[in-house]
Amino acid sequence: MNLTHCIPMVDTYFAQLNAKLSDLPVERRQDFLRELRAHVLDRLEQVAAPTVDDCRNVLKALGAPDEIARQYRMEMILRTSSWRLSPFKVLRTTLRWTVAGVQGYLVFVVALIGYILSASFYICALLKPFFPKNVGFFVSDAGINFAQFPVQYGQEYLPNYFIPICIVMGYLATFGTTLLIRFLVRHLSQLRKKI
Amino acid sequence: MLKSTPKLESTEKWEAQIRKGCLDLAILASLWKTRLYGLEILRVLEQNSRLVVAEGTVYPILSRLKEEGLLQSEWVEAEAGHPRKYYWLTAAGRLKIVSMAHLWKGFASSLNQLLVPVLNGKDDKGEPS
Repeated sequence: MNLTHCIPMVDTYFAQLNAKLSDLPVERRQDFLRELRAHVLDRLEQVAAPTVDDCRNVLKALGAPDEIARQYRMEMILRTSSWRLSPFKVLRTTLRWTVAGVQGYLVFVVALIGYILSASFYICALLKPFFPKNVGFFVSDAGINFAQFPVQYGQEYLPNYFIPICIVMGYLATFGTTLLIRFLVRHLSQLRKKI
Repeated sequence: MLKSTPKLESTEKWEAQIRKGCLDLAILASLWKTRLYGLEILRVLEQNSRLVVAEGTVYPILSRLKEEGLLQSEWVEAEAGHPRKYYWLTAAGRLKIVSMAHLWKGFASSLNQLLVPVLNGKDDKGEPS
């Protein structure tokens, strides 16, 4: 089979698709592109001497790179178990959705607030051994504080359990935020159409 | 006030949603008997289910079904030509498709009964509408 006419067009198509999926893990992306390329070759093999038009039709039937990337990204966010989704990946993905309008922006803000809250708990757990007097669960007339520099007045509660509680709260905040993002993606129809 | 006429476009949208919603079921069912690669799955869908979809639609779904543990895949070198990625059902995939098939059958059967008078063109008193 002579694919001389088709190779530049196919290469351009896959370069575009590769660029659209550039934020995905390399191994997963390459496997996906390899599979689609095999599909294109299969289709072209059905034609004795494929012309540029045949090639264009095969790529058209496959779908626009934008559309395939959109769908792959959607499947990725829905398919991966919540506990396996990295907050960084979710944040990066949701950041891209901010261009998709108000709903995309809303999802990004929810992700940002949720993960900042989660990171705050982990940071408190990390700082507690180094600043035992400054970091803790302090309750005073002024309200509740997790960290106070310099030390102020207030009653510290559960000092011995502060670190494990913070780690658990941090994990729950991460997990809960990811679940919430997935819930929003499933139910915000306008967003789903655009991402 | 004028009553708005239902648009053909809305029916097409509904049909597209139905097709999309059935894809998981159809893809898993196509792999019931044997292992297939992407293009073979598309052919089965076209020939046996009239599910005509953009070809690129199937691959992200296959990828998700694999991630969910319902499918397994392997690249196989062909004697002539290029390697192809074959998919087959896992044990969990088999259980899932059996459960989905029973649900579909029950659901479709109930809905068909509801649609009998509609398809016969009669109203609830048995009179043609």
